[in-house]
Amino acid sequence: MFDFDATMPLMAVQFLLLTAILNAVFYKPLTKALDERDAYIRNNQATAKESLAKAESLVKEYEAQIAAARKESQSIVEKAQAEAREITAQKTAEAQKQVQTQKEQAAQEIQQQKETALATLEQQVDSLSRQILEKILGPELVK
Amino acid sequence: MEILGSLTILNTFTLAELEVGEHFLWKIGNYTVHGQVFIVSWIVIGVLLIASLAATRNIQTVPGEIQNFMEYALEFIRDLTKNQLGEKEYRPWVPFVGTLFLFIFVSNWGGALIPWKLIQLPSGELAAPTNDINTTVALALLTSLAYFYAGFKKKGLGYFKKYIEPTPILLPIAILEDFTKPLSLSFRLFGNILADELVVAVLVLLVPLFVPLPVMALGLFTSAIQALVFATLAGAYIHEALEGHGEE
Repeated sequence: MFDFDATMPLMAVQFLLLTAILNAVFYKPLTKALDERDAYIRNNQATAKESLAKAESLVKEYEAQIAAARKESQSIVEKAQAEAREITAQKTAEAQKQVQTQKEQAAQEIQQQKETALATLEQQVDSLSRQILEKILGPELVK
Repeated sequence: MEILGSLTILNTFTLAELEVGEHFLWKIGNYTVHGQVFIVSWIVIGVLLIASLAATRNIQTVPGEIQNFMEYALEFIRDLTKNQLGEKEYRPWVPFVGTLFLFIFVSNWGGALIPWKLIQLPSGELAAPTNDINTTVALALLTSLAYFYAGFKKKGLGYFKKYIEPTPILLPIAILEDFTKPLSLSFRLFGNILADELVVAVLVLLVPLFVPLPVMALGLFTSAIQALVFATLAGAYIHEALEGHGEE
């Protein structure tokens, strides 16, 4: 069972050879492949993280732009509303003024016509009263 | 082992028999080597090389099936080494510790799963290379060399300070440790694998069908654990040599 012979050194040499050959055809290339894959994955992850950050900053930027636009549109709307209100107020005031002047004019006209009517009426009163007197007293007496 | 050997003659189902201590000897000059150990170890090495080449022949960012599997194996090995050696030091030691794990693991499972009995050898039998003490001692001595190398490379001769670092009283024990480490490493692996194969073989001799199956499953479990233990301890020893005592 314990018979040592040349098997031992030869086996040792053979094992060292196997180590060397496996190092060349197994450990080195596969370790390289594993490391490369690690690096590849790390790189991809880094780029992905970068683009994610970029996308997030873009989103933020766009959101800020949207908020600004919304604010702007709101201010425009408010401005327009104020303008419209002003215009309506102005128009209303103008119309009221016009109406007032027309009313005054009409009142003036009425007054005038009343006066003329009264004047004509007074004249007619005179002639009418003369005619009444003539009719009652007779034309000779009136003169 | 003659008694057990005679038992197999009585057994009509010779699915397994015990031939511990018999080897398929090859002669190289004045030296002998255990041929069956090398044959199986070459198959193990072949499996590892084919799997590696299939995985790395066409490396893609999104891995295919075999590449994914081998990447899983590599990540397991890297984690194991990293846990033992720490984030800073582990990279250069991944090939050594990882090859220890892969070689022992594939050897153990190959020895347990492939029906080697179907291939007849002139003497001895094919089995896991790790059930030969020569293999385990070779691996354990390489581990010793590795941690000495790690210590010297990091600290130069200052590495010897760790023998007298907390107190010189422990010097004998510190020296003894350098011998017990490879001894325990090699005997643990050798004993576990051989014992597992023996238990399975004996049970197969006694009750040929179904009864040995749970023991075989347990054997697979032990084999995996032993590979893990060997690699983990190798990593731990290297870490110890790199850090030294009281320098955490």
